[in-house]
Amino acid sequence: MANFYDFDDIIAEDEVHTNSPFPLVSVVFQKEANGVGIDPSSETDCVKPGSKVELPFWLASELHLRQVGTMKVPACFNQRTKLELGADATCVDLRSRSPYFYEFGCKIAPLVGDRDLGSFLLSAFKNRYQEVLAKAHNAAFSTASKCSTLLTREETSMYEAAQSSMAAFKKWRVGGPKFQRASILGRKRKPAD
Amino acid sequence: MYGRKASRLVKELTNVEKGQLTLFNSDLFDQVIAECSQHYVELQSLIRKMQEKGLDVQTSKNEDHYGALIHHLALVRNKRCLMAYLYNRAETLRNLIWKVGLVLPQEVQEKLSHSEEEYFKRHSASLKSYMSRLDLDLVVDMVPPKDPYIQVRVVDNIGEGIVLSDDKTANFAPYSMHFLKRTDAEPFISRGLMEELTG
Repeated sequence: MANFYDFDDIIAEDEVHTNSPFPLVSVVFQKEANGVGIDPSSETDCVKPGSKVELPFWLASELHLRQVGTMKVPACFNQRTKLELGADATCVDLRSRSPYFYEFGCKIAPLVGDRDLGSFLLSAFKNRYQEVLAKAHNAAFSTASKCSTLLTREETSMYEAAQSSMAAFKKWRVGGPKFQRASILGRKRKPAD
Repeated sequence: MYGRKASRLVKELTNVEKGQLTLFNSDLFDQVIAECSQHYVELQSLIRKMQEKGLDVQTSKNEDHYGALIHHLALVRNKRCLMAYLYNRAETLRNLIWKVGLVLPQEVQEKLSHSEEEYFKRHSASLKSYMSRLDLDLVVDMVPPKDPYIQVRVVDNIGEGIVLSDDKTANFAPYSMHFLKRTDAEPFISRGLMEELTG
Protein backbone atom coordinates (compact mmCIF):
# COMPACT_ATOMS: atom_id res chain seq x y z
CA MET A 1 0.00 0.00 0.00
CA ALA A 2 1.17 3.47 -0.73
CA ASN A 3 1.03 6.07 1.98
CA PHE A 4 -1.90 5.26 4.24
CA TYR A 5 -2.88 8.93 4.51
CA ASP A 6 -2.41 9.86 0.86
CA PHE A 7 -5.78 11.10 -0.32
CA ASP A 8 -4.97 10.74 -4.00
CA ASP A 9 -4.36 7.08 -3.35
CA ILE A 10 -7.62 6.80 -1.46
CA ILE A 11 -9.65 8.37 -4.21
CA ALA A 12 -7.94 6.28 -6.88
CA GLU A 13 -9.44 3.26 -5.18
CA ASP A 14 -12.83 4.86 -5.09
CA GLU A 15 -15.76 4.08 -7.28
CA VAL A 16 -16.70 7.37 -8.85
CA HIS A 17 -13.75 9.27 -10.27
CA THR A 18 -15.88 11.34 -12.56
CA ASN A 19 -19.54 11.63 -13.31
CA SER A 20 -19.28 8.68 -15.63
CA PRO A 21 -19.73 5.34 -13.90
CA PHE A 22 -16.68 3.85 -15.61
CA PRO A 23 -14.37 2.84 -12.81
CA LEU A 24 -16.86 0.75 -10.95
CA VAL A 25 -15.46 -2.73 -11.08
CA SER A 26 -17.85 -5.55 -11.74
CA VAL A 27 -17.36 -8.57 -9.56
CA VAL A 28 -18.91 -11.96 -10.12
CA PHE A 29 -19.48 -13.59 -6.76
CA GLN A 30 -18.28 -17.15 -6.28
CA LYS A 31 -19.50 -17.43 -2.74
CA GLU A 32 -22.61 -16.42 -0.95
CA ALA A 33 -22.50 -13.47 1.39
CA ASN A 34 -25.17 -12.76 3.95
CA GLY A 35 -26.39 -9.58 5.53
CA VAL A 36 -24.90 -7.01 3.19
CA GLY A 37 -26.72 -4.41 1.14
CA ILE A 38 -24.34 -4.10 -1.80
CA ASP A 39 -26.40 -5.74 -4.51
CA PRO A 40 -29.15 -3.36 -5.61
CA SER A 41 -30.77 -5.96 -7.86
CA SER A 42 -31.25 -8.38 -5.00
CA GLU A 43 -34.41 -8.12 -2.92
CA THR A 44 -32.97 -9.60 0.24
CA ASP A 45 -29.76 -8.35 1.78
CA CYS A 46 -27.88 -11.35 0.53
CA VAL A 47 -25.61 -11.86 -2.47
CA LYS A 48 -26.01 -15.16 -4.31
CA PRO A 49 -23.13 -16.95 -6.04
CA GLY A 50 -22.94 -16.08 -9.71
CA SER A 51 -24.51 -12.68 -9.34
CA LYS A 52 -22.70 -9.74 -10.83
CA VAL A 53 -22.30 -6.70 -8.59
CA GLU A 54 -20.71 -3.36 -9.34
CA LEU A 55 -18.35 -2.48 -6.51
CA PRO A 56 -15.76 0.17 -5.78
CA PHE A 57 -12.21 -1.00 -6.24
CA TRP A 58 -11.21 -1.03 -2.56
CA LEU A 59 -13.86 -3.66 -1.89
CA ALA A 60 -13.55 -5.52 -5.17
CA SER A 61 -9.80 -6.07 -4.89
CA GLU A 62 -10.00 -7.54 -1.40
CA LEU A 63 -12.82 -9.86 -2.39
CA HIS A 64 -10.85 -10.90 -5.44
CA LEU A 65 -7.77 -11.68 -3.34
CA ARG A 66 -9.83 -13.81 -0.97
CA GLN A 67 -11.48 -15.57 -3.91
CA VAL A 68 -14.94 -14.51 -2.86
CA GLY A 69 -15.50 -13.19 -6.34
CA THR A 70 -13.63 -12.56 -9.56
CA MET A 71 -12.96 -9.12 -10.85
CA LYS A 72 -13.42 -8.07 -14.46
CA VAL A 73 -11.21 -5.57 -16.24
CA PRO A 74 -13.06 -2.26 -15.90
CA ALA A 75 -14.44 -0.54 -18.95
CA CYS A 76 -11.81 2.18 -19.01
CA PHE A 77 -9.20 -0.40 -20.00
CA ASN A 78 -11.28 -2.09 -22.68
CA GLN A 79 -10.29 -2.96 -26.20
CA ARG A 80 -11.58 0.28 -27.64
CA THR A 81 -9.41 2.39 -25.37
CA LYS A 82 -6.41 0.27 -26.29
CA LEU A 83 -7.06 0.74 -30.00
CA GLU A 84 -7.54 4.48 -29.62
CA LEU A 85 -4.38 4.84 -27.58
CA GLY A 86 -2.51 2.71 -30.07
CA ALA A 87 -3.65 4.87 -32.98
CA ASP A 88 -2.86 8.29 -31.54
CA ALA A 89 -2.15 8.34 -27.85
CA THR A 90 -2.04 12.09 -27.49
CA CYS A 91 -5.58 12.80 -28.66
CA VAL A 92 -7.40 10.41 -26.39
CA ASP A 93 -9.43 11.91 -23.61
CA LEU A 94 -8.17 9.92 -20.63
CA ARG A 95 -9.64 12.26 -18.07
CA SER A 96 -13.21 11.29 -18.87
CA ARG A 97 -12.22 7.63 -18.65
CA SER A 98 -10.60 8.12 -15.28
CA PRO A 99 -8.59 11.03 -13.85
CA TYR A 100 -6.52 8.38 -12.08
CA PHE A 101 -6.03 6.31 -15.23
CA TYR A 102 -2.45 5.22 -14.50
CA GLU A 103 -2.76 4.84 -10.74
CA PHE A 104 -5.92 2.84 -11.15
CA GLY A 105 -4.35 0.76 -13.91
CA CYS A 106 -1.31 -0.01 -11.79
CA LYS A 107 -3.52 -1.20 -8.98
CA ILE A 108 -5.67 -3.35 -11.19
CA ALA A 109 -2.97 -4.83 -13.46
CA PRO A 110 -1.60 -7.46 -11.04
CA LEU A 111 -5.09 -8.61 -10.10
CA VAL A 112 -6.85 -9.25 -13.38
CA GLY A 113 -5.88 -11.81 -15.94
CA ASP A 114 -4.89 -9.28 -18.57
CA ARG A 115 -1.15 -9.84 -18.98
CA ASP A 116 -0.26 -6.90 -21.21
CA LEU A 117 -2.16 -4.26 -19.27
CA GLY A 118 1.05 -3.11 -17.57
CA SER A 119 3.08 -2.72 -20.73
CA PHE A 120 0.10 -1.08 -22.39
CA LEU A 121 -0.06 1.54 -19.63
CA LEU A 122 3.67 2.16 -19.90
CA SER A 123 3.59 2.69 -23.65
CA ALA A 124 0.56 4.95 -23.37
CA PHE A 125 2.32 7.03 -20.75
CA LYS A 126 5.53 7.24 -22.76
CA ASN A 127 3.76 8.36 -25.92
CA ARG A 128 1.75 10.97 -24.12
CA TYR A 129 4.67 12.15 -21.99
CA GLN A 130 6.55 13.50 -24.97
CA GLU A 131 3.58 15.40 -26.27
CA VAL A 132 2.67 16.83 -22.87
CA LEU A 133 6.17 18.20 -22.39
CA ALA A 134 6.32 19.65 -25.89
CA LYS A 135 2.97 21.36 -25.42
CA ALA A 136 3.88 22.67 -22.00
CA HIS A 137 6.98 24.33 -23.40
CA ASN A 138 5.62 25.70 -26.62
CA ALA A 139 1.86 26.04 -26.73
CA ALA A 140 0.21 29.41 -26.30
CA PHE A 141 -2.17 29.83 -23.43
CA SER A 142 -5.37 29.56 -25.49
CA THR A 143 -4.51 26.24 -27.09
CA ALA A 144 -3.07 24.91 -23.86
CA SER A 145 -6.38 25.05 -22.06
CA LYS A 146 -7.96 23.00 -24.82
CA CYS A 147 -5.57 20.09 -24.62
CA SER A 148 -5.27 20.13 -20.84
CA THR A 149 -8.84 18.88 -20.55
CA LEU A 150 -7.67 15.55 -21.96
CA LEU A 151 -5.03 14.93 -19.33
CA THR A 152 -5.26 12.77 -16.25
CA ARG A 153 -4.41 14.15 -12.86
CA GLU A 154 -0.86 12.95 -12.96
CA GLU A 155 -0.32 14.38 -16.43
CA THR A 156 -1.76 17.71 -15.37
CA SER A 157 0.71 18.04 -12.52
CA MET A 158 3.50 17.05 -14.91
CA TYR A 159 2.31 19.69 -17.36
CA GLU A 160 2.34 22.36 -14.68
CA ALA A 161 5.78 21.28 -13.49
CA ALA A 162 7.11 21.54 -17.05
CA GLN A 163 5.63 25.01 -17.45
CA SER A 164 7.01 26.32 -14.19
CA SER A 165 10.47 24.94 -14.93
CA MET A 166 10.37 26.58 -18.36
CA ALA A 167 9.35 29.89 -16.79
CA ALA A 168 12.17 29.55 -14.25
CA PHE A 169 14.64 28.83 -17.04
CA LYS A 170 13.55 31.91 -18.99
CA LYS A 171 13.85 34.04 -15.91
CA TRP A 172 17.30 32.71 -15.25
CA ARG A 173 18.41 33.41 -18.83
CA VAL A 174 17.20 36.99 -18.75
CA GLY A 175 19.02 37.38 -15.52
CA GLY A 176 17.65 37.59 -12.03
CA PRO A 177 18.52 40.26 -9.51
CA LYS A 178 21.93 41.57 -10.37
CA PHE A 179 24.52 42.68 -7.92
CA GLN A 180 24.76 46.43 -7.64
CA ARG A 181 28.13 47.94 -7.88
CA ALA A 182 28.92 50.02 -4.86
CA SER A 183 29.38 53.63 -5.85
CA ILE A 184 32.74 53.82 -4.22
CA LEU A 185 34.13 51.15 -6.54
CA GLY A 186 33.32 53.17 -9.65
CA ARG A 187 35.57 56.03 -8.75
CA LYS A 188 38.98 56.26 -10.13
CA ARG A 189 41.67 55.53 -7.72
CA LYS A 190 43.48 58.53 -6.43
CA PRO A 191 47.04 58.69 -7.57
CA ALA A 192 49.24 57.63 -4.79
CA ASP A 193 51.41 60.28 -3.36
CA MET B 1 -22.96 1.99 -1.52
CA TYR B 2 -20.65 1.51 1.43
CA GLY B 3 -17.92 4.04 2.03
CA ARG B 4 -19.44 6.72 -0.16
CA LYS B 5 -19.76 9.32 2.57
CA ALA B 6 -16.19 8.68 3.69
CA SER B 7 -14.84 9.28 0.22
CA ARG B 8 -16.87 12.48 0.00
CA LEU B 9 -15.06 13.61 3.12
CA VAL B 10 -11.67 12.88 1.58
CA LYS B 11 -12.64 14.53 -1.67
CA GLU B 12 -13.26 17.72 0.26
CA LEU B 13 -9.55 17.78 1.02
CA THR B 14 -8.53 17.51 -2.60
CA ASN B 15 -10.71 20.43 -3.60
CA VAL B 16 -9.00 22.99 -1.40
CA GLU B 17 -5.75 24.62 -2.32
CA LYS B 18 -2.66 23.23 -0.65
CA GLY B 19 -1.91 24.81 2.70
CA GLN B 20 -5.45 26.04 3.28
CA LEU B 21 -8.10 24.80 5.62
CA THR B 22 -11.82 24.49 5.17
CA LEU B 23 -14.41 24.35 7.87
CA PHE B 24 -14.20 21.07 9.76
CA ASN B 25 -17.08 19.04 8.37
CA SER B 26 -18.24 17.59 11.67
CA ASP B 27 -21.65 16.74 10.23
CA LEU B 28 -20.29 14.42 7.56
CA PHE B 29 -17.59 13.20 9.92
CA ASP B 30 -20.21 12.08 12.44
CA GLN B 31 -22.25 10.45 9.70
CA VAL B 32 -19.25 8.34 8.70
CA ILE B 33 -18.71 7.34 12.30
CA ALA B 34 -22.37 6.38 12.54
CA GLU B 35 -21.92 4.28 9.41
CA CYS B 36 -18.98 2.59 11.11
CA SER B 37 -21.07 1.73 14.17
CA GLN B 38 -23.76 0.36 11.89
CA HIS B 39 -21.20 -1.90 10.20
CA TYR B 40 -19.99 -3.02 13.58
CA VAL B 41 -23.49 -3.93 14.75
CA GLU B 42 -24.13 -5.96 11.61
CA LEU B 43 -20.74 -7.62 11.86
CA GLN B 44 -21.45 -8.63 15.43
CA SER B 45 -24.87 -10.05 14.59
CA LEU B 46 -23.37 -12.14 11.78
CA ILE B 47 -20.69 -13.51 14.07
CA ARG B 48 -23.32 -14.29 16.70
CA LYS B 49 -25.34 -16.12 14.09
CA MET B 50 -22.35 -18.28 13.30
CA GLN B 51 -21.79 -19.01 16.96
CA GLU B 52 -25.43 -20.02 17.40
CA LYS B 53 -25.04 -22.53 14.62
CA GLY B 54 -22.15 -23.99 16.56
CA LEU B 55 -19.54 -23.12 13.93
CA ASP B 56 -15.95 -22.16 14.60
CA VAL B 57 -15.72 -18.46 13.77
CA GLN B 58 -12.01 -18.64 12.97
CA THR B 59 -12.06 -21.34 10.33
CA SER B 60 -15.51 -21.91 8.86
CA LYS B 61 -16.22 -19.96 5.71
CA ASN B 62 -19.93 -19.85 5.11
CA GLU B 63 -22.15 -17.07 3.77
CA ASP B 64 -22.21 -15.32 7.13
CA HIS B 65 -18.43 -15.25 7.17
CA TYR B 66 -18.29 -13.48 3.81
CA GLY B 67 -20.99 -11.05 4.87
CA ALA B 68 -18.96 -10.24 7.95
CA LEU B 69 -15.86 -9.88 5.78
CA ILE B 70 -17.52 -7.25 3.63
CA HIS B 71 -18.57 -5.30 6.71
CA HIS B 72 -15.05 -5.57 8.05
CA LEU B 73 -13.55 -4.25 4.81
CA ALA B 74 -15.99 -1.35 4.77
CA LEU B 75 -14.99 -0.55 8.35
CA VAL B 76 -11.31 -0.55 7.48
CA ARG B 77 -11.96 1.66 4.49
CA ASN B 78 -13.98 4.16 6.50
CA LYS B 79 -11.28 4.23 9.13
CA ARG B 80 -8.64 5.00 6.55
CA CYS B 81 -10.70 7.86 5.15
CA LEU B 82 -11.35 9.35 8.57
CA MET B 83 -7.70 9.07 9.56
CA ALA B 84 -6.55 10.63 6.31
CA TYR B 85 -8.94 13.53 6.81
CA LEU B 86 -7.62 14.25 10.29
CA TYR B 87 -3.99 13.61 9.45
CA ASN B 88 -3.89 15.91 6.45
CA ARG B 89 -5.67 18.69 8.32
CA ALA B 90 -3.23 18.33 11.21
CA GLU B 91 -0.34 18.55 8.79
CA THR B 92 -1.71 21.74 7.28
CA LEU B 93 -2.18 23.12 10.76
CA ARG B 94 1.41 22.37 11.73
CA ASN B 95 2.70 24.04 8.59
CA LEU B 96 0.60 27.08 9.39
CA ILE B 97 2.71 27.81 12.47
CA TRP B 98 5.69 28.69 10.29
CA LYS B 99 3.60 31.15 8.33
CA VAL B 100 1.46 32.92 10.90
CA GLY B 101 3.26 32.29 14.15
CA LEU B 102 2.19 30.70 17.38
CA VAL B 103 -1.23 32.31 17.62
CA LEU B 104 -3.83 31.58 14.97
CA PRO B 105 -5.90 34.35 13.45
CA GLN B 106 -9.61 34.32 14.22
CA GLU B 107 -10.67 33.22 10.71
CA VAL B 108 -8.60 30.08 10.91
CA GLN B 109 -9.61 29.27 14.45
CA GLU B 110 -13.28 29.23 13.46
CA LYS B 111 -12.59 26.45 10.98
CA LEU B 112 -11.13 24.04 13.48
CA SER B 113 -12.85 21.40 15.50
CA HIS B 114 -12.43 21.42 19.24
CA SER B 115 -9.75 18.73 19.32
CA GLU B 116 -7.82 20.43 16.55
CA GLU B 117 -7.73 23.63 18.58
CA GLU B 118 -6.39 21.67 21.51
CA TYR B 119 -3.82 20.03 19.24
CA PHE B 120 -2.61 23.34 17.91
CA LYS B 121 -2.37 24.81 21.38
CA ARG B 122 -0.24 21.95 22.65
CA HIS B 123 1.88 21.86 19.54
CA SER B 124 2.68 25.54 19.75
CA ALA B 125 3.34 25.19 23.49
CA SER B 126 5.91 22.47 22.93
CA LEU B 127 7.46 24.46 20.10
CA LYS B 128 7.64 27.44 22.42
CA SER B 129 9.41 25.47 25.12
CA TYR B 130 11.84 24.11 22.53
CA MET B 131 12.59 27.61 21.31
CA SER B 132 13.13 28.89 24.83
CA ARG B 133 15.58 26.06 25.42
CA LEU B 134 17.43 26.93 22.25
CA ASP B 135 17.07 30.61 23.03
CA LEU B 136 16.18 31.21 19.40
CA ASP B 137 12.99 32.40 17.77
CA LEU B 138 12.31 29.96 14.94
CA VAL B 139 9.12 31.48 13.60
CA VAL B 140 10.55 34.75 12.33
CA ASP B 141 10.75 35.55 8.64
CA MET B 142 13.38 33.66 6.65
CA VAL B 143 14.39 36.77 4.70
CA PRO B 144 16.22 39.33 6.82
CA PRO B 145 14.48 42.71 6.86
CA LYS B 146 16.08 45.82 5.41
CA ASP B 147 15.19 47.92 8.41
CA PRO B 148 14.70 46.69 11.98
CA TYR B 149 11.98 49.31 12.52
CA ILE B 150 8.72 49.63 10.65
CA GLN B 151 5.80 51.99 10.56
CA VAL B 152 2.48 50.33 11.38
CA ARG B 153 -1.12 51.28 11.75
CA VAL B 154 -3.41 49.54 14.23
CA VAL B 155 -6.54 48.29 12.47
CA ASP B 156 -8.30 46.47 15.24
CA ASN B 157 -8.77 46.60 18.97
CA ILE B 158 -5.68 45.21 20.63
CA GLY B 159 -6.00 46.41 24.18
CA GLU B 160 -3.92 48.64 26.34
CA GLY B 161 -0.73 48.25 28.26
CA ILE B 162 1.11 45.86 25.98
CA VAL B 163 4.72 45.53 27.01
CA LEU B 164 7.22 45.74 24.21
CA SER B 165 10.66 44.21 24.13
CA ASP B 166 12.30 47.37 25.45
CA ASP B 167 10.17 47.19 28.62
CA LYS B 168 7.95 50.08 27.66
CA THR B 169 4.21 49.89 27.37
CA ALA B 170 2.39 51.22 24.39
CA ASN B 171 -1.21 52.18 23.93
CA PHE B 172 -2.41 50.69 20.67
CA ALA B 173 -5.63 52.57 20.12
CA PRO B 174 -7.41 51.65 16.88
CA TYR B 175 -6.18 53.57 13.80
CA SER B 176 -3.21 55.00 15.63
CA MET B 177 0.18 54.84 13.96
CA HIS B 178 3.34 53.61 15.58
CA PHE B 179 6.99 53.23 14.82
CA LEU B 180 7.96 49.86 16.25
CA LYS B 181 10.62 47.25 16.24
CA ARG B 182 9.82 44.74 13.53
CA THR B 183 9.95 41.82 15.96
CA ASP B 184 7.38 43.50 18.20
CA ALA B 185 5.01 44.28 15.35
CA GLU B 186 5.21 40.98 13.47
CA PRO B 187 2.91 38.87 15.69
CA PHE B 188 0.23 41.54 15.46
CA ILE B 189 0.56 41.82 11.70
CA SER B 190 0.28 38.05 11.21
CA ARG B 191 -2.88 38.06 13.29
CA GLY B 192 -4.30 40.83 11.16
CA LEU B 193 -4.44 43.40 13.97
CA MET B 194 -1.94 45.80 12.43
CA GLU B 195 -0.89 46.67 8.94
CA GLU B 196 2.43 47.87 7.69
CA LEU B 197 2.57 51.32 6.16
CA THR B 198 4.75 51.35 3.10
CA GLY B 199 6.03 54.09 0.86
